[in-house]
Amino acid sequence: MSPTETADRSLTPLSPAVFVTGKGGVGKTTVAAGLAIAAVQSGQGAVFVEFGDGDSGERAFGKLPKNLKHVVLDPQQAILTAAAPLFGSATLAKLALGNFAMRPLIQSAPAIREIAVLEMVRRVVEEHPRRRVVIDMPATGHSVAWLRVAQQGRDLTKRGPIHDLCARVHRELIHPERSSVVVVTLPQPLVMNETIKLCGAIEREVGLRVDRLVVNHVPAMPPPDALSDALRVADELGVVATAAGELGALLTKRAATALAVDKALSQAAGERTATLTRLPLSPADPTARQVARWLTERGAA
Amino acid sequence: MKAPQVIVSAGGGGVGKTTTSAALALALARSGKRALVVSVDPARRLADALGVAVGGQVKPLSLDTGDGELFGLMPDPRTSMRAFVELLFAEEPEALARLLDNALYQVLEDAVPGIHELVSMALTTEAVRNLEIEVVVVDTAPSRYAIDFIHYPGRLAKLLGGRAVGWLAKLAQRGNTQKKGRPNRVERMLAKVMGSVVYDVAGLFAELALVRKRFVALTAQTSRLLLGPMSQYVVVTAPSAAAQADAEYWIKQLSALDLRPTAVLLNRALSPEYPFAKVLRSAPETTGSMHQVLNSLDEECRVREDATDRAVEVLSKRYPHVSQVALPYIESSDPREIVEALCGKLDGHLDALTA
Repeated sequence: MSPTETADRSLTPLSPAVFVTGKGGVGKTTVAAGLAIAAVQSGQGAVFVEFGDGDSGERAFGKLPKNLKHVVLDPQQAILTAAAPLFGSATLAKLALGNFAMRPLIQSAPAIREIAVLEMVRRVVEEHPRRRVVIDMPATGHSVAWLRVAQQGRDLTKRGPIHDLCARVHRELIHPERSSVVVVTLPQPLVMNETIKLCGAIEREVGLRVDRLVVNHVPAMPPPDALSDALRVADELGVVATAAGELGALLTKRAATALAVDKALSQAAGERTATLTRLPLSPADPTARQVARWLTERGAA
Repeated sequence: MKAPQVIVSAGGGGVGKTTTSAALALALARSGKRALVVSVDPARRLADALGVAVGGQVKPLSLDTGDGELFGLMPDPRTSMRAFVELLFAEEPEALARLLDNALYQVLEDAVPGIHELVSMALTTEAVRNLEIEVVVVDTAPSRYAIDFIHYPGRLAKLLGGRAVGWLAKLAQRGNTQKKGRPNRVERMLAKVMGSVVYDVAGLFAELALVRKRFVALTAQTSRLLLGPMSQYVVVTAPSAAAQADAEYWIKQLSALDLRPTAVLLNRALSPEYPFAKVLRSAPETTGSMHQVLNSLDEECRVREDATDRAVEVLSKRYPHVSQVALPYIESSDPREIVEALCGKLDGHLDALTA
């Protein structure tokens, strides 16, 4: 099986909200930005959501294209904004949450920060019904905890406004018909193993479907006869033959790794009707626009 | 007990932090030290990297360590919270039973950041004492939240020591006994919004307040280990834009905490040598396809060297006081082989890294 990509246009379309996740360092942000740009280019318009300081979005886009909104969610601010309607007003929310006992409590209880951020994401999706909302998630492990928190909050509180808020986030956002999950990975055995575990955890513990498995930085295959040529030369005697043998060994090792990784990822994708999309390795870190083009060409955008 | 040397390795994801930490610990062991490598990274790759079993208890690792010895610890974050509360409530069995029954505790059991690190450090402190460990290498989580690992326990201890806990305990009691008494405005508002869970929240902290002394002792122990005069920080990075942004983030954060990193380990920075390439290039037997492969190998090396040069230039200019150690790119699908190769390279830098 050759890992060259064949465009398959009959892929499951992505849902309005797209959570992009994966192990750190796999190029998650660039893929997320690429999915947003691809939606803009197809005329749909997009919102790119990131948690934190806004650094990664700025790095990925440079100048923001028209019809693309960049939303940065600050957890502290999200808590106040999400809580305002619960308490009746922002002032009352500030009073209750700023209470000397509640303030440190909220800072120490992780679930509160996470549910507030998810509620803000839900509102962004609601406010942009025609746009694709791409969410650049925290790295593996953390992302499963984030996505699970709505359901946990709902079950824990049983009733009341917090219960309703969690239930709404779960119903309107963390739902297979509302959200797609895109998992980004690399063609390396260890990264791949983590990715396959992550896919399982998202489905089992969160109840969302993984719609795309994007393998980033896939190196080009060497010319098909390079290996046989090298092995033929290696059959002779002398320094050249020894050198050719070493080249042959390197090519064999690389081919074996590539094949094993591709097979495992294809199987992981097949088990969950996710599409496996391979993006090529390029000399410099690819730009979000380049990634958007690749994703569109492969029908994965 | 003589205070051990502690080296904390920080950095972004995907740069080979666990592998580098394992290699550093192995190199220290081979230099004759009694070393311990602890991974608090929830990705739990330490065992994979070393190719031997590493678990939730400190155990000697069955590796060739020459004159020294290498121990390993990789607690499971999913059982950390339970281990932690059992440690805390060792002398308060009734409170422990109430806590385990608390609905909120059950949700938080596998999700509290900082606790996993705290438990790992408690186990580390114990091992340092019992096994006379001389040097500890701590592999942290790659997330930027990992900086919480330094702040969080202190913050929690402060909360438990403050008057907030008394207020919460009163609130918890009201929830338990339906006792009369006038709830104030904030209480009424919270109860209305959060429903009965507000009493679970309050209850959780009231129980924790019972064991505040032990909690504070644990966090103090952790602080001594991580922030003491024998602790130092190294930042692991790789030649890519994202990894470099992460590295700079860590250098800034750590410097702001007065924990200026001693070194940046630039992983996968040096290209391998391909001695066969020179021979084949001038050999008449080499075919066009083989030449193509040789050219792409050259290209790979050139790209890597350019990225490394850029990273070195930026880091030297912005952080002249942080020394740099460039490590080779090892092409192998066997993690153990990579650890061995890096261990050999790090051996020459141990003095600088443990200065």
